[in-house]
Amino acid sequence: MENGSKQIWGFRGNEELKIASEITVRGFLNLLMFHVNKDDDRPTVPLGHGDPSAFPSFRTTGIAEDAIVDALRTANYNCYAPTVGVLPARRSIADYLSRDLPYKLSADDVYLTIGCTQAIEVILTVLARPGANILLPRPGFPYYEARAACSRLEVRHFDLLPEKGWEVNLEAVEALADHNTVAMVIINPGNPCGNVYSHQHLEKIAETARKLGILVIADEVYNHLTFGSKPFVPMGTLGSIAPVITLGSISKRWIVPGWRCGWLVTNDPNGILRKTGIVDSIMGCLDVSSDPATFIQGAIPQILENTEEDFFSKIIYIIREAANLCYERIKEIPCITCPYKPEGSMYTMVKLNLCLLEDIGDDVEFCLKLAKEESVIVLPGMAVGMKNWLRITIAIELSTLEDGLARIKAFCQRHAKNNKI
Amino acid sequence: MEVVNGHKKWGFQGNPELIASSISVRGVLTKLMANRNKDDKRPTIPLGRADPTEFPSYRTTPVAPDAVADATYSYNFNCYPPTVGIVEARRAVAEYLSKDFPYQLSPDDVYLTGGCTQAIEIVVSVLARPNANILFPRPGYPQYEARASCSKLEARHFDLIPEKGWEVDLDSVEALADENTVAMVIINPSNPCGNVFTYQHLKEIAETASKLGIFVISDEVYGHLAFGSNPFVPMGVFGSTVPVLTLGSISKRWIVPGWRLGWIVTSDPNGIFHQSGFVECMRNFLDITTDPPTNMQGALTQILKHTKEDFYSKILTIIREAADILYDRIQEIPCLTCPHKPEGSMVAMLKLNLSLLEGIIDDVDFCMKLAKEESVIVLPGVTVGLKNCLRITFAVEHSALEDGLGRIKAFYHRHAKKE
Repeated sequence: MENGSKQIWGFRGNEELKIASEITVRGFLNLLMFHVNKDDDRPTVPLGHGDPSAFPSFRTTGIAEDAIVDALRTANYNCYAPTVGVLPARRSIADYLSRDLPYKLSADDVYLTIGCTQAIEVILTVLARPGANILLPRPGFPYYEARAACSRLEVRHFDLLPEKGWEVNLEAVEALADHNTVAMVIINPGNPCGNVYSHQHLEKIAETARKLGILVIADEVYNHLTFGSKPFVPMGTLGSIAPVITLGSISKRWIVPGWRCGWLVTNDPNGILRKTGIVDSIMGCLDVSSDPATFIQGAIPQILENTEEDFFSKIIYIIREAANLCYERIKEIPCITCPYKPEGSMYTMVKLNLCLLEDIGDDVEFCLKLAKEESVIVLPGMAVGMKNWLRITIAIELSTLEDGLARIKAFCQRHAKNNKI
Repeated sequence: MEVVNGHKKWGFQGNPELIASSISVRGVLTKLMANRNKDDKRPTIPLGRADPTEFPSYRTTPVAPDAVADATYSYNFNCYPPTVGIVEARRAVAEYLSKDFPYQLSPDDVYLTGGCTQAIEIVVSVLARPNANILFPRPGYPQYEARASCSKLEARHFDLIPEKGWEVDLDSVEALADENTVAMVIINPSNPCGNVFTYQHLKEIAETASKLGIFVISDEVYGHLAFGSNPFVPMGVFGSTVPVLTLGSISKRWIVPGWRLGWIVTSDPNGIFHQSGFVECMRNFLDITTDPPTNMQGALTQILKHTKEDFYSKILTIIREAADILYDRIQEIPCLTCPHKPEGSMVAMLKLNLSLLEGIIDDVDFCMKLAKEESVIVLPGVTVGLKNCLRITFAVEHSALEDGLGRIKAFYHRHAKKE
């Protein structure tokens, strides 16, 4: 402006966005990485992420890569996709998920999304209305909180019970819900706890939801990544008790989070989601949003149908070994306890016993100092809703995990309180 | 509390604002397609959507799929990308766009998005706050209105003037803006009008915006698709007059709309986006929104650097010839006029003279009946903000265009008012 006074621009910042972005996992990890000592020659051990794709043992199957390139070369997938996704992909996902359900899903129950991330965006946008609230697990996945904040959807937290294998505290759910509650979210297999719910527990969840008149959002992004005694049971199995919205993607099972292809599926044999206008709202939201790349959609049938069983077994095997290793090594570290050995997903939640440590006030301080002194990144429990706990990622090369756990042990010994009363 | 079947009524319900999505191009086209006569054996002529991928003449350059295949097999791009996009891709976009700028863009000025669609979503969401308003062109692109509605950002419309080559009515812009206006949007080359703004006009827009204290969002998804006498000038050239947000993608110039890769670029040598906190807000929003696939990002450098000039010229020639065909044939259809011969993008606006027709109420009725009787799809102007107009795509195979226009002519004759 020529007159020398400061130009006034009509734009103002958005405080809600700032708050929302700070609480994401990415936000915390960036902060921790920033604290790593640049003069430490040792490689940083990343035990905070959810993305093992960089590790050779976790390379995706060639079938998936070939499927993408095949779809590209047909030149049939350069066009805009339909709002809900291309039919062959939807049909294929319906078949894939139906293998574990007592009924058949139709292609019309399936909506393609840009990863599970967009599936979460869509369902929260659809459910938000002034005064409404949603029930989220604690500990949980902070993206739900971030997105709910954006949509002005009130969040209420119910606890997961560490002494009961991180099961849902159903009494807390009933106490929290009121006539404005729209849904509850479960993550199974669990992030961050690494638990897998039994059919019985899922049934109780469904019955509670029905009693309260709310739907269940089942985040199954880690579906089939189970390596303990409990098999994976999809929540959609109970879809006739209460309507279920299943969220999933190829990111975790195929170790391709960068391909950004997921789904939102309605498990609702009684048609309640249609009658209440939820289905139309999902369509409406997708109509004005971007989509997964058409050629990646085009590759889905090949990926889902042709991946060999031994690729899956190989990945499960590595994660199981890592889980065992982690559980054993944690036992050797007095100030950390693991209440429940992980049996699914890629993580374990461990408790910090701060009174055994000198000059460490909380989990965040533990993680910042650990990053600085040992170049090991672990997620503070505060990031997932549980202060003074830690989330450790076990989907990593075994040698690297071994190294990282040894460094954590050394760190704890160095900071142990001297008087061992 | 109402009790049904022994349990309380369900606590969740649909969102009426989202269901009103019939204002989207996709929504309207779906309805038109559904109205076709199933017994008509002729191929449908799709003149409603700017997506020529099904036509052999519009096949993308092999450089593009090769680049994505290479990126996929390299194994380097299966991971989550950084929220702003991978640095090599951002650098490639900065270099590509800087060719037409008087200064060098930095990779930090570039943010990768899932197509221009997501770029619009991000920019509108970041600008929104209670009581703010934004200025959109009319006719325009309804994705803007849809997103503004979602973000509770008030939309105000300024006119484009058909008699002046669809230029922006700057007087109406000044009349609409107030202290709560955050930005104005221009689409250049234009969707839906098919015009290309001159350097002089863009300069005037920049000066007006600066005077009003509002940013300019320049939607350049059809960037470089200019085949008439006005060359394409990127709005970012005026970044020192007014902060500019350029939106773009590979969808149109490379004919790959399904690949969903676009960008937001800040052109702002005076650093106002940083000072005002806009950049921080945008990064915060990118942290909580989804990203374009990493392997697509990995391919972008190759695509932008190695595409040959003759691919670009080939596509431009085909589109130019199609625009000529459209303009000529429209002269033969009395109820349709083309106020300004298209010189860019892939679409043009036509005026509909209902007084020459019998039994056709408005543009929607025209399009629905045309779909049913002739299996030709054209977008009713109300979708883009101008009733009793039509938006017609000319970026199709020439034979299909001739066929379609022939059928529209037949439709006219069937419905013409008898003298």
